[in-house]
Amino acid sequence: MNAADHVKTADALVQVRGLRTRIGAKMIFDGLDLEVPRGGITAIMGPSGTGKTTLLRHITGQLRPDAGSVVVDGEEVTKLSRRGLFDLRERIGYLFQNSALLTDFSVFENVAFPLRRHARLPEELLRNIVLTKLQAVGLRGAAQLMPSELSGGMARRVALARAIVFDPMLILYDEPFVGLDPIALNQVLRLIRTLNSTLGITSILVAHELAAIRQVADRVYLIANGKLVAQGAPDELAHQDSPWTRQFFGGEADGPVPFQYPAPDYATELGFAEGTR
Amino acid sequence: MNANLRRNWLLQGIASVGECGLFFVAVLGALPKSLCHWRESCRQVWFVGAMSLVIVMTCGLFVGMVLALQLYYTLSIFGGTAALGTVVALSLFRELGPVVTALLVAGRAGTAVTAEIGLMRATDQLDAMSMMAVDPLAYVAAPRFLAGVIAMPLLACVFNAMGIFGGHLVGVTWLGLDNGTFWGNMTSTVDLHRDILDGLYKSIVFGGVVSLIAVFQGYTAPPTSEGVAYSTTRTVVFSSIVILAFDFVMTAFMT
Repeated sequence: MNAADHVKTADALVQVRGLRTRIGAKMIFDGLDLEVPRGGITAIMGPSGTGKTTLLRHITGQLRPDAGSVVVDGEEVTKLSRRGLFDLRERIGYLFQNSALLTDFSVFENVAFPLRRHARLPEELLRNIVLTKLQAVGLRGAAQLMPSELSGGMARRVALARAIVFDPMLILYDEPFVGLDPIALNQVLRLIRTLNSTLGITSILVAHELAAIRQVADRVYLIANGKLVAQGAPDELAHQDSPWTRQFFGGEADGPVPFQYPAPDYATELGFAEGTR
Repeated sequence: MNANLRRNWLLQGIASVGECGLFFVAVLGALPKSLCHWRESCRQVWFVGAMSLVIVMTCGLFVGMVLALQLYYTLSIFGGTAALGTVVALSLFRELGPVVTALLVAGRAGTAVTAEIGLMRATDQLDAMSMMAVDPLAYVAAPRFLAGVIAMPLLACVFNAMGIFGGHLVGVTWLGLDNGTFWGNMTSTVDLHRDILDGLYKSIVFGGVVSLIAVFQGYTAPPTSEGVAYSTTRTVVFSSIVILAFDFVMTAFMT
């Protein structure tokens, strides 16, 4: 399958059309099109700095694109009011790269935070919901700890419990495996898979870890140079014969993503070129 | 080149004043919503107010003591030491109370607020809140702004009380001025509206200005360690300048 000829599916949860974004002088997206169907786990990969996190921020409306449309659950995110955005975000869970736990509150209060702000629940019920979510990520025993007492893997699991506290329809994971030891990585991996299947949510995963993605993702989108360059099932992509997938899945140091940062001619800069002496 | 640089610097300064003004409007707009988070507002009043009590009380005591000492010496040249209580009280109520308290709070609580919000920004906590559909302006910025407006006049009153106590300590207990003269002259001269309330209005305005600057600097701090450090410094520098400038302007209009 080619990047250009994907068909529009009726039950796409997220539809991105002709997305153009410029941050400062840098072109991040230059006409990006992609669709994330309901259910399943979609991984978004690409070289560092291609704007994978920026794409997540477009989906949640934290950042508005210069042009193009982003439709989530039938709503045009780029045109939503603040109120509309907040309503939409109550249905989206977002796992930040550095967990972003509120440092003033205990683990329990962190998970309870969205509930306390948006739902007037009796304390007993709230406690039960929070403990259920903490049990799901295996940290019920850590409920009274403060975020500063948690390891990186535990903090990420607490953040995950907080992200699913409203039973969202969509979870966005921003680099969930970065900086985790193999045990913690597998725990997070297992959680992503079980949450997705038991709660029937749609997951979008931004990550670099090929082995982890092959285990967990149903499909992969490869973004580079502001465009979608390849898509398909992880194993299918690994064997696809395009320069992008070859470099990315083979981990080659040089290729379409150059090793050298753009620079003037080497010989000229060193003063060895003809005519400079 | 140099002129260009200066012009840029000036433009950036004006632009950031405008930005701060817009931020002020946004915070005011978020105030009604922040009343839903009244617990957070109470916590912030406690943090800005109660936690600053020790420094404000100690400084108030010493300011009052040194004021009485200096004034006793000066007044005794003219044989007017009977007016010591009046002069100490007037200086405190009208000027020193609001101004010194504001400077102290800017250093004690303003910096803490800037650093706290700056780090919340750097660790994505503000983004996480808005992702949980909680407006960080209403939950983080507005309660801290409100806390400054509420706590500052209260702290100024405590400062004044401690200052007068210090003045009494030096004037009456140490230098042997008559207790009745000290209080009698003070209570007959100091006017509730012209002196005490005017000072209070000043400190309400200072409270708003200091907490606005602190919250704004934290909110717009670049998410790096260097950025947070610079913003914290800027809070103290800008607060001090603005407090003293506003003090002059307000005094000119009030008297």
